[in-house]
Amino acid sequence: MTTLLSHYLDSVRDNLRLDHSSETEIIDELETHIQDRVEELKQSGLSEEEATKRCVKLLGSTKLVARQIYEAHSQGTWRQTLLASTPHLFFALLFALNWWYSIGWLSVTIVLILGTAAYGWWHGKPTWLFPWLGYSLLPVVVAGILLLYLPKGWSWLAILLYIPLVFWLLYSITVQTIKRDWLYSSLMLLPAPVIIGWFLAVALEGKFPEYSLERLQHFAPWIGLTFLVLAASVAMFIRLRQRWSKIAVLLISGLLTLTLVAFYTEGSLGSPAFSVLILVMLGLFLTPALLERKIRRGEQKPVTKMPSY
Amino acid sequence: MVKRHELMKDSIASLLLSLIAQQPMYGYQILKELGRRSEGYFEFKEGTLYPVLHRLEQAGLILGKWQVLPSGRHRKYYTITAKGHYALEEKRSQWEDFLAAMNLIIQPRVLERWER
Repeated sequence: MTTLLSHYLDSVRDNLRLDHSSETEIIDELETHIQDRVEELKQSGLSEEEATKRCVKLLGSTKLVARQIYEAHSQGTWRQTLLASTPHLFFALLFALNWWYSIGWLSVTIVLILGTAAYGWWHGKPTWLFPWLGYSLLPVVVAGILLLYLPKGWSWLAILLYIPLVFWLLYSITVQTIKRDWLYSSLMLLPAPVIIGWFLAVALEGKFPEYSLERLQHFAPWIGLTFLVLAASVAMFIRLRQRWSKIAVLLISGLLTLTLVAFYTEGSLGSPAFSVLILVMLGLFLTPALLERKIRRGEQKPVTKMPSY
Repeated sequence: MVKRHELMKDSIASLLLSLIAQQPMYGYQILKELGRRSEGYFEFKEGTLYPVLHRLEQAGLILGKWQVLPSGRHRKYYTITAKGHYALEEKRSQWEDFLAAMNLIIQPRVLERWER
């Protein structure tokens, strides 16, 4: 196969953003089509170079082909939709039914989340995995909060060790996720802004933990509601086909849940904090896109010039 | 009765389903057959054939299977499923309704003569 056709197939693959086995099968199918077409064009009297150029023109834009194939594959099944929404539903139930302070229920939830995330991670990273993966980072966050309550001196030392470790862990998981599709990283980070929002609104007002736990109990039904909104957003994300509509769902969901936090906490989350949270949300959701671009540029082969299609 | 724009949107998928219902085919073969039977009327960018095939496959209307030819080459052949046959019958019926409605406006005399 000529360099031009190889570049054509590479360009389709780069824009597909599907799982590895689906991508391989699609590229194989396009390759057999190209072989048939080039052979026929050569039989009609064209040279190898002419046949190749004609074949690429007949196939059409790589971005258009990849986008349409992506949309054919991007809609998850109802089973995948339910599985992807489940961790958000768990947290909605934990708060709505006031089970969040029961060590038993919390332990069951954490074990289930860690187990499911590990299973999905080692079984081809299916679409439903990413919301579970996001929650599996919660024990790390909780450990960080608890470090604040160590004796003076020890607390700073632990935090200095903890922060680089957390950044390294988050970066490694995000990079692995981005290799599949940056949108899944954003899906994984979906609950982060709302958790930070509730933490700021509930825990920073007064002495932790007694007063905050009381406030947490007061706001529990509304916290449950925000997780329910996240579950509905994830369901929509999985069922939608177009990328732009998936991105829109994530952004609307982030805005809506943060507005709910600000509304129900009646001023605990002031305008500056709300604005900063919106910026954090945009940063968390859109940074994976920039990271993906950087990673792909780094991985590109040092070819002299990429032809445009 | 299905709306006209929906009928137009589905027309390429219906054509592919109809061809595959007659015999198992691979992508390039479908494209050639479509061009031959329509005498070149249906022409589109070849790469855009595969998204339609994959949508039909995802919907369970066709099934793609890789086969090894005696020459050693691999090809993905598509066959119609029972669900696909049912969908095709529905589409044929919708198409007949559409054509009849069109004829009522465009060729009323033909229909009048036919009814007599």
